[in-house]
Amino acid sequence: MEQSGLKELTKLTVHGVVADPNTETQIVILRDEQTAQILPIWVGAAEGNAIKLAMDDAPTPRPMSHDLLRSMMEHLNLTVSRVVVTDVKNNTYFASVHLLSQGTERTVDARPSDAIALALRSNSPIFVTANVLQQRGGNSLETWLEKLGTKNTSAGG
Amino acid sequence: MIAQMKVHGLMFDPYNNTFIVILRDEEQSEMLPIWVGKPEASSISFALEEVTTPRPMTHDLMKAVLDVVGAKVISVVISDLKDNTYYAKVHLMYEDSEYSIDARPSDAIALALRTKAPIFANEEVIRKQASDELDQWLENLKPEDFGKYEA
Repeated sequence: MEQSGLKELTKLTVHGVVADPNTETQIVILRDEQTAQILPIWVGAAEGNAIKLAMDDAPTPRPMSHDLLRSMMEHLNLTVSRVVVTDVKNNTYFASVHLLSQGTERTVDARPSDAIALALRSNSPIFVTANVLQQRGGNSLETWLEKLGTKNTSAGG
Repeated sequence: MIAQMKVHGLMFDPYNNTFIVILRDEEQSEMLPIWVGKPEASSISFALEEVTTPRPMTHDLMKAVLDVVGAKVISVVISDLKDNTYYAKVHLMYEDSEYSIDARPSDAIALALRTKAPIFANEEVIRKQASDELDQWLENLKPEDFGKYEA
């Protein structure tokens, strides 16, 4: 079951975080490196920053929230095997964090922003279900950014 | 050596454009204000008001991760104050072992409120912050500046 589940998943990388010019939110751009298809996910300002910090590998003087989460997991010997953007309903995205604890896999419900911030800090792969990609995936980053009315890619992938 | 603290309130600091979590000890004789950022303040406020958000916030995820493996937050301790930065420890119990993890007080408090874990402060930290300047600053605040969370 787990095997067939994985087949329907597409691996994405975090390409960048851009500010949405229309709202105070930020947009995380996930990208399928094979097809160049992108998946934009709107996140709050704090969550966007947490992802940017992880992308830039920027050390902060004190541990940020996701650093604490990773640190707790390291102490307890839990590893993030993967995170999956599982669903989108009424513009709300759902994700799950897959944990490995002593050979047993456990799944925890999360917002994609938290899942991505954690995945980047634990070097874990990010996947998306075929369903979400079909519904929300876009073809090219350039076309999409033009539609959005910004060229302001503040972080590169 | 160590005092148990309760979250007495949460207020906006208009001078610094940040939020302050007010911790008080049981006898209400000591007060420890801790400056926190906006997202951390929202997270603490959700926990104080027992608001359930449609989706899990970051500290809810922390709790969920601990819950799913059966780890428990025993306590959090505001452990030190150096150069205006507060330090905290989250004490976890997992499979009969205890772990002590470095954290910002804001994260520690947000997690403690969600897991019903006690919050402690080293008395040295309370002494260090008890400068005249700060007392004066707090005295100048009007009661309505304080949040509505009466402990």
